[in-house]
Amino acid sequence: MKKILGIALAVIAAGAAVWWFFLGENPERGAAKAAEAEAAVTVAEYPQQVLWGDTHLHTDNSIDAFGFGTRLGPEAALQFARGDKVMSTTGIEAQLARPLDFLVIADHSDGLGATRRLYDAPRMLIQDPTLKRWHDMMHESPEQSQMAIAELITAASDGTLPEALRDPETQEKNTRNIWQSHLATLDKYYQPGKFTPIAGYEWTLMPGGNNLHRVVMYRDGYDKTSKTLPFPGIDGNIEGLFDYMDAYEKATGGRVLAIPHNSNLSNGMMFELTQADGGPMTAEYARRRAMREPVVEATQIKGDSESHPFLSPNDEFAGFGDIGWELGNLPLTAAKEDSQFAGEYLREALKRGLSIEQQTGANPYKFGMIGSTDSHTSLATADEDNFFGKHTGNEPNAKRANESQNLGTRQGRFGWNYLAGGYAAVWARANTRAEIFDAMMRREVYATTGPRMTVRFFGGFNFSGTDFASDWVSGAYAAGVPMGGELSDNGTAPQFIVSALKDPDGAHLDRVQIVKGWTDGNGTLREKVYDVAWSDQDTRRSVAGKVPAVGNTVDLATASYTNDIGAPELQTVWTDPDYTKGQRAFYYVRVLEIPTPRWTLFDAVKFGFKLSEDALRDAVAQERAYTSPIWIGPASEGPLPDRAAP
Amino acid sequence: MQLRKYEAMTLKTLVREPLVHFLIAGAALFAFFAWKGEPADPASRTITISQEDRARLALQWQQTMQRPPTDAELDSLTETWLREEILYREALRLGLDQGDAVVRKRLANKMDYLSASAAETEEPSDRTLRQWLADRPQRFANDTAYTFDQLYFSERTRAEAALASLNSGAGWQALGQTISLPPTAEQQTADAVEGRFGIVFREQLDNIAPLGRWTGPHVSGFGWHLIRLRQRDTGKVPPFAQIREQVENDWRAQTLEDRKAKAYQLLRDAYDVTVEK
Repeated sequence: MKKILGIALAVIAAGAAVWWFFLGENPERGAAKAAEAEAAVTVAEYPQQVLWGDTHLHTDNSIDAFGFGTRLGPEAALQFARGDKVMSTTGIEAQLARPLDFLVIADHSDGLGATRRLYDAPRMLIQDPTLKRWHDMMHESPEQSQMAIAELITAASDGTLPEALRDPETQEKNTRNIWQSHLATLDKYYQPGKFTPIAGYEWTLMPGGNNLHRVVMYRDGYDKTSKTLPFPGIDGNIEGLFDYMDAYEKATGGRVLAIPHNSNLSNGMMFELTQADGGPMTAEYARRRAMREPVVEATQIKGDSESHPFLSPNDEFAGFGDIGWELGNLPLTAAKEDSQFAGEYLREALKRGLSIEQQTGANPYKFGMIGSTDSHTSLATADEDNFFGKHTGNEPNAKRANESQNLGTRQGRFGWNYLAGGYAAVWARANTRAEIFDAMMRREVYATTGPRMTVRFFGGFNFSGTDFASDWVSGAYAAGVPMGGELSDNGTAPQFIVSALKDPDGAHLDRVQIVKGWTDGNGTLREKVYDVAWSDQDTRRSVAGKVPAVGNTVDLATASYTNDIGAPELQTVWTDPDYTKGQRAFYYVRVLEIPTPRWTLFDAVKFGFKLSEDALRDAVAQERAYTSPIWIGPASEGPLPDRAAP
Repeated sequence: MQLRKYEAMTLKTLVREPLVHFLIAGAALFAFFAWKGEPADPASRTITISQEDRARLALQWQQTMQRPPTDAELDSLTETWLREEILYREALRLGLDQGDAVVRKRLANKMDYLSASAAETEEPSDRTLRQWLADRPQRFANDTAYTFDQLYFSERTRAEAALASLNSGAGWQALGQTISLPPTAEQQTADAVEGRFGIVFREQLDNIAPLGRWTGPHVSGFGWHLIRLRQRDTGKVPPFAQIREQVENDWRAQTLEDRKAKAYQLLRDAYDVTVEK
């Protein structure tokens, strides 16, 4: 027996040695190829066609995604995003109706790959009793596995994670391996001009369960990104992240930005009037934040953060995607107080920015808006009729819509509170890492809740010649600024060009609105929503400044709708009728589709079950797009600190 | 030198040989069970923990903790291992592995992994990949590219009227209604056309014949269109050098799947399976 054993072991050892010697990838070669292909792509004079992507996707390298059961890795995620058919973890065939143009895989930097390692670790070598218990739960059943991850998230927010998961030095070696092989995979799938994988991760700062998460996203390929490691979020603070970003750029000549998300779960902490340590906001901090965080995720699976009825009582469309999420912080360990809403929703944050700018001379919240999924299934789905769930525990099944979905606990939030996720629309001049990154830096981006409507938005003072005929876009670029840009007050009212074309395979449009926020003479923050273009304008007359509802064609029994109402395209040139000289203001566009079925209704019809009363009340919605704002203010402030690549 | 190279090549070819993978995988399995001391026989109540076993435990500890275990630690590791082994055998004796979905799935995954693992890291030669490309060019062909003119109408009747005047020789450019869609598309891929005009619109381009004439009305998500399809290029295959990476990815993914399938088929063939309907 011993002899056979010896021979067997020798064969294995020899085989392993041979593999090790001859095989193995060469990431430098991949990086050089990617750079070459990138250089061959034609860059247009100005953005011609909008690019669609997801900046926030988790794979089995994320500590929680793996615990929730996901077994699909980055490669499957990339294949799926570029349009391939893949098999989901639960064995369902998954494919996008239309491919995405780019993808940021944003696995949690904390414990990158750690749950996968914990799961695979020999049980006897796990010393920590908590880790050992989680290990056992993960092996016991999918439900127990989810409970383990719920405990893990709570422990992370309480700062009570086992030492083995906290200590960056123990983690570093493991992290480096996973990160570098991940970066090589990204380069392998990079097809400049066609499909762009972008390096990034999620930085998971969460004091007391209040969500201050950011997606960190790089402009660069393997040659630069392999020189850094994902920055841990637990126990950190935001200035620490900014320091890390500064250091990366200095050391490599690369570029990096951060995208806050789920401010709706921060219990008022994401967009504070003060600095994080409670001290007054300084101009230096404000400038730094605006430069480091040029865009914010406005909408995703865990709710929509654009507006809340508490803050915008006169906006009848303000409540989209708020139900459930408004109850408290991420793990629901602390309920939300009314006073906290203002630090959570983007419209209010944009207003606060104006006020801070008035006091300090710098606006920390001068950000653009994008949507993303935050899916933990490796599948970047955002279509209502193709929703693969927040995590593997709620991939398509007959129960997920009505179920309590509160990360293992049984209070507050339900499956139907999840949105199907959104996408980031980017006006880049070409589909490359550099062009997508630069478009985000100049905030020429917008958010949608999933549908791919094409939205153009320009601000200026002389758009009188705009006729929406063939070459109006180049004229608009010449005479004004696109979304994300800034205008200097010259005493006259600003003009805006808005053009919204429906998703070619989706629903017609109900209306286009311009949301304005400003500070009035005595420094009070104000907002107003203007309906500027809508379908059937001849028959749907605006009454007291409000356009009547578009109607509803949704058939609840079949989860279908018709495009008999609404319009395929809405366009207008609009001048602010209420502008006064010297006003500090922002304007952004909100486009509303006609009502369509939500994923919950598609589920109910497909699986043949009845939605709960609450879920049914929320089973039809008007999907939407939010553009980045255009700001106007005193001319003296000079350009943004960061408008161009170095 | 020549000889060494030759040897290396042979070794390299051997490494790629599925049969060798099976032998190695089989050896690994055998070694595993041999070392486990026939745990599959729950009746055995004899356990000998050899020097080698203890050395292995010590090595694993060292890999994790970056230092060798103390004697006390090694004793405790041995005790933990022994405890688990005894409970494991008793569990098998009680049949606790039966009907456990996690155990079942985990073991099945291990089998799959064994059969496919070599393909994960293997580096195929250019020759292999060229052959791969030659055998299935359609997978690497560029998308079909379309060149066409189109006119947009909000209603079908308007489109029909415009088609009539086109047929009587009117200039086309002034006929359609305004919408933010390009009137002309040059060499646009299927994906690009779908992104801009929608899936329904693109599908109709494949059925338009003959080329160069105005046809319609064709429906889309926006309304109605008259289309003059000028060119439809079914995709060409780019030269190998340009798409080597892509071919390699495809080869790897497919080889992985094939090996899993092949390994499974070998096992499957040894079973008599009846599915009662």
